Amino acid sequence: MIGGAHRPREKTVRKTKSRRARAIVGLAWVLAAAASSANGPAAPAAEPETMWNEMQGEKLQALRARGDPARGEIAFEVCQGCHRAHGLGRPDGSYPRLAGQHDTVLIKQMTDVRAGRRRNDRMLPFIERHGLGPQDIADIAAYLSRQSVPPDNGKGPGVNVGTGETIYQDKCASCHGTYGEGDGERFYPRVSGQHYKYLLHEERDIRAGLRANADSRMVERVKPLSDAELDAVADYMSRLPVTAPR
Amino acid sequence: MGEPARLWRYHGAWLLACLPLPAVADAEQLVTTVCAPCHGADGNGVVAGVPRLAGLQAVYISKQLKDYLSGKRRNETMSMVVASLDESDVPGLAAYYARQQPARGEVRQPALLGSGKAMFDDGNVDSGVPACVGCHQEGAVGNERNPRIAGQHQDYAIEQMKQFRDGKRTNDRNKAMRIVAERMTDDEVHAVAEYLAGL
Repeated sequence: MIGGAHRPREKTVRKTKSRRARAIVGLAWVLAAAASSANGPAAPAAEPETMWNEMQGEKLQALRARGDPARGEIAFEVCQGCHRAHGLGRPDGSYPRLAGQHDTVLIKQMTDVRAGRRRNDRMLPFIERHGLGPQDIADIAAYLSRQSVPPDNGKGPGVNVGTGETIYQDKCASCHGTYGEGDGERFYPRVSGQHYKYLLHEERDIRAGLRANADSRMVERVKPLSDAELDAVADYMSRLPVTAPR
Repeated sequence: MGEPARLWRYHGAWLLACLPLPAVADAEQLVTTVCAPCHGADGNGVVAGVPRLAGLQAVYISKQLKDYLSGKRRNETMSMVVASLDESDVPGLAAYYARQQPARGEVRQPALLGSGKAMFDDGNVDSGVPACVGCHQEGAVGNERNPRIAGQHQDYAIEQMKQFRDGKRTNDRNKAMRIVAERMTDDEVHAVAEYLAGL
């Protein structure tokens, strides 16, 4: 099995899990506090970061593991049928682009899908525990995060990009970055280079509360936006330069 | 001339003749008596429903033979045939068929080639069938982890996809083929099998 050679390390991680978990949960609180003070009143400090991103179990194990991109490339093989070679995804939005995403974000999403915190019936059977362990997840994340992001992602219609820019820079950029580069340390995904239709689909799901592992602070910010506004933001994000500083 | 070289020169041939038959000869003998009647000596067998083995990855053939031996994979004929084999025969047989030259298969329903190729290259986004190319590689030539399926007989490919779909074949790695086949319609199975046969 892939990852077999790394089992001893996983065991070690498990042993010290609770101590590390406490340390990372503490760190998350500090980050949350720092974020809320930096962003002013717009980011409510009352919402603990651990609600959307609890640091426990195999998520923690995968985050602690040293991902091996070469092994990740092999483990990713079975994912390529949908996410395409190098994790470039599909412009029709049916499968997101994973190339160039932060490894922490990828680990969070994979383990959340496995644990049912993010519901994805289509992907779940492929990523269930019968074949993959936390080390494999770390390997896949290491591989994907190192893939380059070509500017050929699916773009929006380009009609309300100005509106999209205003909303994005006002409501989204504080977490997802001025250039859509995201923030790996805080588990905020990179959005530049992502397919427009996927961005739009996820925005709508998050607004409707269907994406259970979303940051509740984001859900609050997205809720008041109309369909047209969501569309404009997705359009703008899909046009962010992929070569922006990260 | 040194002593060992002299000894070798005078006695080497005798020593070689006394050694047990090399594995290659063993394998070829087994192929002739056990495998070739159905799979063909060149692995491009012509019996309907019997898979082509020529050019299949040795690691894949080995796994299938071992799975037949252990009962993890079952087939009426093969289960009977492997009874005459021992696990030590497996590497030689796998290497033999892996190095045979695969012949191009025969397309029977050219009308299915277009949809079969679409299935292989893109899968079905609506029903969540992954593209076959993701694992089986460009040209369906496979790799060390996923078998070559190019040029495979339609009847065999169809039967295997249906067995995976119905949970009758369960020796796929990480259940991958079972999950994929469960999402495929009969039409998709037939189309992709036809496309593979023509590769």
